Amino acid sequence: MDFSLDYTEKQESFAVEVRKWLDENLPDDLIPIRDVCKMSGDQWLKRREFTKKLGRKGWLYPGYPREYGGGGLTPEYTYVLVEELSAREMALPPLYDMGILASPAILAFGTEEQKQRMLPPMFKGDVITWQLFTEPEAGTDAANQQTNALRSSREKDYFIISGHKVFVGSFPSRPEQMYVLTRSDLDAPRHQNLSSFVIPGDLPGIKVLPLDLFTLSTFPAVSGVTGANVEGVKHSVFFDDVKVHESCLIGKEGQGWMVTNATLEVEHGGGRGGVVRKNYMAEKFLEICKTDPVISRRLKNNPELTDSVVEIYIGSQVERLLNMRNADGKGAAYGGPQLALYSKMFGTRFVSHMARVLGPYAYTQDEKYALAEGIFEVGQRCGICLAPGGTPEAYKIGISRALGIGR
Amino acid sequence: MSLDLSHTKFDEMLRRSAMDFMRGDAPKRVVEELLETDIGMSEGMWKKMADLGWLGILIPDQYGGALNSMTAAGVVLEAMGTGPLPGPYFSSSILGTRIVLEAADESQKEEILPGIVDGRRVLTLAMIEADYTWEPETLSTRALLTEAGFVMDGIKLFVQDAAAATHFIVAAVTEDPATLSEFVSLFIVPAASRGISVKRLPGFLSGRTFEVTFKGVEVPGSALLGNRENGRRALEAAIMKSIPLLCAYKVGGCQSILNMALEYSRGRVQFAKPIGRFQRVQDMIIEIANHADAARWATYEALWKQDVKGFDPESIHLAKVLASEGYWQACTLGHQVFSGLSYSMEHELSFHTRSSRSLYDYFGDPGFHRRKLGKILLN
Ligand SMILES: Cc1cc2nc3c(=O)[nH]c(=O)nc-3n(C[C@H](O)[C@H](O)[C@H](O)COP(=O)(O)OP(=O)(O)OC[C@H]3O[C@@H](n4cnc5c(N)ncnc54)[C@H](O)[C@@H]3O)c2cc1C
Repeated sequence: MDFSLDYTEKQESFAVEVRKWLDENLPDDLIPIRDVCKMSGDQWLKRREFTKKLGRKGWLYPGYPREYGGGGLTPEYTYVLVEELSAREMALPPLYDMGILASPAILAFGTEEQKQRMLPPMFKGDVITWQLFTEPEAGTDAANQQTNALRSSREKDYFIISGHKVFVGSFPSRPEQMYVLTRSDLDAPRHQNLSSFVIPGDLPGIKVLPLDLFTLSTFPAVSGVTGANVEGVKHSVFFDDVKVHESCLIGKEGQGWMVTNATLEVEHGGGRGGVVRKNYMAEKFLEICKTDPVISRRLKNNPELTDSVVEIYIGSQVERLLNMRNADGKGAAYGGPQLALYSKMFGTRFVSHMARVLGPYAYTQDEKYALAEGIFEVGQRCGICLAPGGTPEAYKIGISRALGIGR
Repeated sequence: MSLDLSHTKFDEMLRRSAMDFMRGDAPKRVVEELLETDIGMSEGMWKKMADLGWLGILIPDQYGGALNSMTAAGVVLEAMGTGPLPGPYFSSSILGTRIVLEAADESQKEEILPGIVDGRRVLTLAMIEADYTWEPETLSTRALLTEAGFVMDGIKLFVQDAAAATHFIVAAVTEDPATLSEFVSLFIVPAASRGISVKRLPGFLSGRTFEVTFKGVEVPGSALLGNRENGRRALEAAIMKSIPLLCAYKVGGCQSILNMALEYSRGRVQFAKPIGRFQRVQDMIIEIANHADAARWATYEALWKQDVKGFDPESIHLAKVLASEGYWQACTLGHQVFSGLSYSMEHELSFHTRSSRSLYDYFGDPGFHRRKLGKILLN
C-alpha cells in the first residue's frame, strides 16, 4: 500500500517538460476565476487562446487517442499534467467545454468518418461544445424529451429539430457546437424514441437567451482549482425548425438513450480515473482560520467553533480519500456517483460550518473586507447548487443500481 | 389546564390585515424590486405602514404609538417574513424603538418616538465593527467628551438598513474623566451629520448591510441616550427583547418555503409522477415542516413569555437557535425540492435564501445562543 502522490522518476522528467512548456505558454495576465457568475470577455478570450495552445500540444484531451488529436497519455502522465496546471491555478479544461462529455460518446458510438471529422477540432481546442439535455419537462427524467428531431418529409437525409432547452451553455452566449438529446420518434416506447446529435451552434433557427441565475456551478466545481466548468452564464435555447444533416446523428436513430447513458455515467462521476482533485477552498479556509486576526480571535473566543473547523477538515479528507481511491481504480461500480454525491452534499455542510466560523464575512465581496479574494462568498452560493450534472437523488438512483438494490 | 395556543380575535384580525397587505401591496414583483434597492422600502409603503399603526406597534400611547403585545407584533413580523419584505421596519420600529425605550430619558423619548410612529424618523443600530462579535466589550469606536458635546471616530460594519436610516444609534466607548473608567454608551446621531459616510457591502447573500464610517462627527451632549453608564445594559436588554420578533419574521419565511415546496411537489411531474410521490422528495419537505414548526412554537412561546412574564432569556435563546438554523436549512432543502428553477434570481425561494443568510448571524449565530443557553442550563 502506498498513499504517496510523489512523482516517480518518469513522471518527474515529464513534469520538467510540462513546467518548461507552461513557463513559455501560460500567459501571466490570466486571472484565476473567483466568481463563476462573472467572466470578462477579455479573460475569456485569453483562456480560449490558452485552450487552443493546450489543444495543439495534445494536452487539452491528454488521455484521448493521438490519431484524433488527443495526447495519448496514460493516466500517470495525465495526472502530472493536471497537477502542474493546478499548481498554477489552472484547471483542465481551462474553460467550460462539454466536449469532455460529447467526445466519449462520439468515440463509442460515432462512425469512423464522424470521429475523424468531429474529434480533432474538439481535441485541438478549436470548437467548444455545449451540452443540451435539460428541458423544462425533462430534468432528472432526461428521457422525457419534448424536443423533436423528425425526418424531413422532403429531404430524407435531414432532420428538423424543434423544441426548448434550459440551463445550458456558457459564456459567451454564442454556441459553437451543441451536443443535443432529442425525441426522434413520436410513437416508439420510452427510451427507444430518442436520438443524439452533435451539431454546429450557428444553424438557422437556433435562438439563445441568457438566464439570470445566482449560481452556475456546484460546490465541487468551485472548491478545487477554479476554471473547469466555469460557465459565466446559462441559457434557454430555442430550436425553431432547425434543419440538421443526418451526418450529425451520433449512434443510430433511436439509440439516443444508450448514447446519453454513456455520457451520464461520465457526468455522474465515472471516468475520472487518474485525477486527484484537491479541495482548495478547504485549505484556504483553514489558513484564514489560523492567520486572519479577526477570525482567529473569533475562534479563540467561541470554542464551539472549533468543531466546525474540524468538520470541514474531515469532509475534505473523506473527499480526498474517495478521490484517490477512484483515481487508482478501486471505486467499484458505484464509486463514481458516490464521490459525486459525497462532494455535493459536503458542499451543503461546508457552507453552514463556514457561515458559523466566518459570520457575515462569509457573504461579502467587498474589496476591503472579503476574505481570500471573495472565494467563500462564491462557495456560499455554489454550496447549495445541487442541480448541475444531476441531482443527488439521480446519483442515488445510480448508486443503488450499481449496488444491486435499485432498478 | 388553561392551555390555549390560539391567537386572540384581535391578533387574528391583525394577521388577516397583514397578509392582505402582503398580497396587495407587497406581492412577489414588488419584493423583487425592493430587494435590489439600497433602502428596501418605498415611500408609499412606509406611509401605509404608518397609517396602519404598525410603525408604533411597540410604542406607548403617550408618545403617539399603538402599543401592542409582543404576540401581536409577532403576527405582523411573521406576515412580513413570508415575502420576505425587506426594509427598515425591524431596525426602526422594533430594535431602534426598543433601544430608545430602554436607554433614553423621558424628554428624549418625547422627542424621538413620535417621529418613529409617523415614519419621519428611521432608526438603525450601528454597533458591530470589523472585529465581529455581538458581545459589546471590544468596541473601538470612541466618543470623546468635548465642551460642546462629543466627537466620534470609528468604523461600524455590517450595519443593517444604513441607507434607509435618518438616525443611527451608535454604540461607542466613552471615558469618565474623573475615574478613567470606560463605558459603552449609546448616541442618537442624524445620518446626515458631517463626517459620516455610508457604503453598501456587495454580495448577493449579504443583504442590505453597510460600512458606516464616523470621522470626527460632532454631536451635542443631548445625543447621549440616557447616561453614559447604562448603554451596555440597555443595548443587551433591547437586543434580547427584540430577538423573538426577528424569529417571527423567520418563521414567516419558513412557512412560505413550506407552502411553495408543497405546491410545487404536487404539480411538478417527472417520470410520469408528481415529484411529491418520491420518498426522497417527501423527506426534504417533511424536514422543512419540522424546521418550520420547531421555530414557530419556540418563537410563539418566547413572545408569550415576554408578554406575561417579562424578560426570559432561556426562551429567547431557544427561539433564536431554532429560527436561525431552521430558516437557513429550509432554504437549502427548498433548493433541493425545486432544483434548477430555484437558482434563478427571480425565483421567490432565492429571496428567502438571501434573507436567511444575511440574518443568520444577526444578534449572534446559533452557536453563540447555544453557548448562552448552555450556561443557563448548567448554572
Ligand atoms: C447552474 C446549472 C447548470 C446546469 N447546466 C446544465 C448543462 O450544461 N446542460 C444541461 O443539459 N443541463 C444543465 N443543468 C440542468 C440540470 O441538469 C437539471 O437542473 C437537473 O438535472 C435537475 O432537473 P430539474 O431542475 O428539472 O429538477 P427535477 O428533475 O424537476 O427535480 C426536482 C426534485 O425532484 C427530485 N426527483 C426527480 N426525480 C426523482 C426520482 N425518480 N426519485 C427521487 N427524486 C426525484 C429531484 O432530485 C429534485 O429534488 C444545469 C442546471 C443548473 C441549475
